[in-house]
Amino acid sequence: MARFFLIIITLASVLGCVTTPTRDYTKFNAAKPKSILIVPMVNRSVEITAPDYCLSTITIPLANRGYYVFPVNMVKRLLEDDGLSDANLVHNAPVEKLANLFGADAVLYVTINQWDAKYMVLTTQVTVSLSYLIKDGKTGDSIWEHNETMIYQPKSQSSGNAIADLIIMAANAAVTRAAPNYVPLARQANFRAFSFPGRKIPPGPYLLVDK
Amino acid sequence: MNISNHFILFIFVATLMTTGCAAQSQYAWSNYDQKLYNHYKNPTKSEQFIEDLRKIIQYGEISGRVPPGIYAEYGYALYEQGNYPEAIEYFKKEQSKWPESDIIMTKMINNAQKIIGANKEIEHSAID
Repeated sequence: MARFFLIIITLASVLGCVTTPTRDYTKFNAAKPKSILIVPMVNRSVEITAPDYCLSTITIPLANRGYYVFPVNMVKRLLEDDGLSDANLVHNAPVEKLANLFGADAVLYVTINQWDAKYMVLTTQVTVSLSYLIKDGKTGDSIWEHNETMIYQPKSQSSGNAIADLIIMAANAAVTRAAPNYVPLARQANFRAFSFPGRKIPPGPYLLVDK
Repeated sequence: MNISNHFILFIFVATLMTTGCAAQSQYAWSNYDQKLYNHYKNPTKSEQFIEDLRKIIQYGEISGRVPPGIYAEYGYALYEQGNYPEAIEYFKKEQSKWPESDIIMTKMINNAQKIIGANKEIEHSAID
């Protein structure tokens, strides 16, 4: 009997994993934001350029979902002028105060968890991992959150000559190492987070066609 | 008409169709992301950033697809350069196109007007 239940439970949990989790949009739809304020990003990577570079990638995919997005560079500079140049301070400030300052319906907080290039013998693996959190500007409640990780590893096609392949791989790895291509990965991460099924944010008021 | 002509015609039609779809994007971003990235990469070249934003607006206005935030971003870049009268002009454009920006644009316009007023006083006292 115990074994029978074990099988049922195992089956249920396996089946549970297969069905795609449906996201609960109740809070988001209740808040119904029209405008979203993107504040400077908290950086948990060692790349000091990551927050600014990543900030440059986020406006387009979010505005293309139909929201009014405050100009990120102006917002960053105004916060700096107010003594909030440290993104950690901004992320810990009361949401309602930030939202009121700009007249925003909601605030998007992004944390850069990973922005690195891992060097292996013949290849370089580039990783960008971001977590997103949108809070309602009136109540301060979290209304949407998601983590997105993008990994890039240069692939080379086999030429049939093992030594030639190794040389090409080493050359590719060296190129990636010299200038890791973080920005395209960040762009992809943002696009997926805001527009892909299973995580996307609901269409905003300006969206003409929901593709 | 031989096979290669058919092929060329096919490519032509296919290109037309795909470019036709691509042109129907809601906003004319004109690589705003790339331009902002360049600005953060070379922060000393602020003139280039201003010029880039000006072009985004110029191009976007042709089709009426200036993206949200761009008038304000440009206005703020002018504001940082000390060009307050023109900054106000673009803050007002943002405000009238996007009502969501009203609160922050009102603040920015007031700030710019205060600075213009203060500068005039300094000029007057210098003359006196």
